Amino acid sequence: MKTDTIYPKVREIVADVLAFDEEEIQRDGSLVNDYSAESIDFLDLVYQLEREFKIKIPRGMIEQEARHGLSDEEFEENGRLTDKGLEQLRAFLSEVPEDRFTPRMQVALIPTLFTVETICKIVLREQERAEQAAST
Amino acid sequence: MFHFVDQILELDPGRHALGVKHVTPGDTFVRPTAGGEPALLSCIIGEALGQLGAWNVMAAKDFSMRPVAGVVGEVVITGEATVGDTVLLDTTIDSVTDDAVFYHAVASVDGTEVLRLENTLGPLLPMEQFNDPDELRERFERIHRPGAPTEAPQPDGDPAVPFDMSFDEILSLESGKETTAVRQVSGREAFLADHFPRKPVLPLSLLLESLLQLGQKLLVEDGGEGFVPTGARKVKMTRFVEPGSSLVAKIRVVERSAENALLKFRCEVDGGRVCVGEAVYSVAVGESS
Repeated sequence: MKTDTIYPKVREIVADVLAFDEEEIQRDGSLVNDYSAESIDFLDLVYQLEREFKIKIPRGMIEQEARHGLSDEEFEENGRLTDKGLEQLRAFLSEVPEDRFTPRMQVALIPTLFTVETICKIVLREQERAEQAAST
Repeated sequence: MFHFVDQILELDPGRHALGVKHVTPGDTFVRPTAGGEPALLSCIIGEALGQLGAWNVMAAKDFSMRPVAGVVGEVVITGEATVGDTVLLDTTIDSVTDDAVFYHAVASVDGTEVLRLENTLGPLLPMEQFNDPDELRERFERIHRPGAPTEAPQPDGDPAVPFDMSFDEILSLESGKETTAVRQVSGREAFLADHFPRKPVLPLSLLLESLLQLGQKLLVEDGGEGFVPTGARKVKMTRFVEPGSSLVAKIRVVERSAENALLKFRCEVDGGRVCVGEAVYSVAVGESS
């Protein structure tokens, strides 16, 4: 996987932030459901990743990107994902096991899907974005 | 009273602030020292630094948001402030976003550093949930007096009753390895009136102080009489600890040599993590033999 090179460091940071031993952290583990991540942990995690990888992770980025090409109405309805929205999210979060997506799930619960690999992908994407910005 | 910035000397909103805290005989959060004069609890010096950072951010946000305790990357304790001392507080904001403030800070007495905070993160939450914004605005106006520090206030009335830092009960103790203790947050604690008027919660500073002392007891109990707390790392408050909570703290020795010790702690309420971190100890100079 493209994220193989950064995974060890990301795993170390995730373990540190969530107060787990590194060996307990699995690549497809859900940060919220498996490692009890709270909102402060997400703030802490983003801060640590930004410092370690010298990147900037914009707030709400994942959700924004997951909507890519879909209007708000197409993506969600009364705070819940539409079928189209779910399909889009599933494709976007391809690293998340299929059975964790539920039809008409609440938009607010999207972060519960994030795995350690999701975090790796975010870091990689921001690294590439920074490189592109530097070369233009 | 749980306000520790007596005067703000300099304020550059969203960036930097200088302030002072006078250590007076009326302070609740002092403890006796071998040297004679009682000293302010180290974690209260950290609290004062955090409060100065909070004043800065709250003023910059026109009292619509306030920071609360989140993560402290490192606390370094290098000295103490005794009764009669004036502590100079110097807080630098590294960045402020919509949802958090990041800062570092140094406290000194007569030009000598006594405590430092590094990589500190405080989530920003709506002020209305915690305080009456007008009340805080008024307090800010009273203490924001740019210029030189004014005299320490005269204590009014009787000396304050020292706050009891200890846990209620030790649930288990494995000598030299780990201990588990419990503390009930009754709701009658005096500091809850200010922290915070609309949402009383246990301050991270007091929790950390009690954890540092619990860890020290664990070390002393196993022949480490000379160990004193010299700091803490990666301290994180995950959830608010509210009145009625039964706080269970577990602290264990991770590394220990003749001069240094590193302990890890984890606090839970109803089985959920509320605070984690590391406590650092060194043998006090002159006591290592």
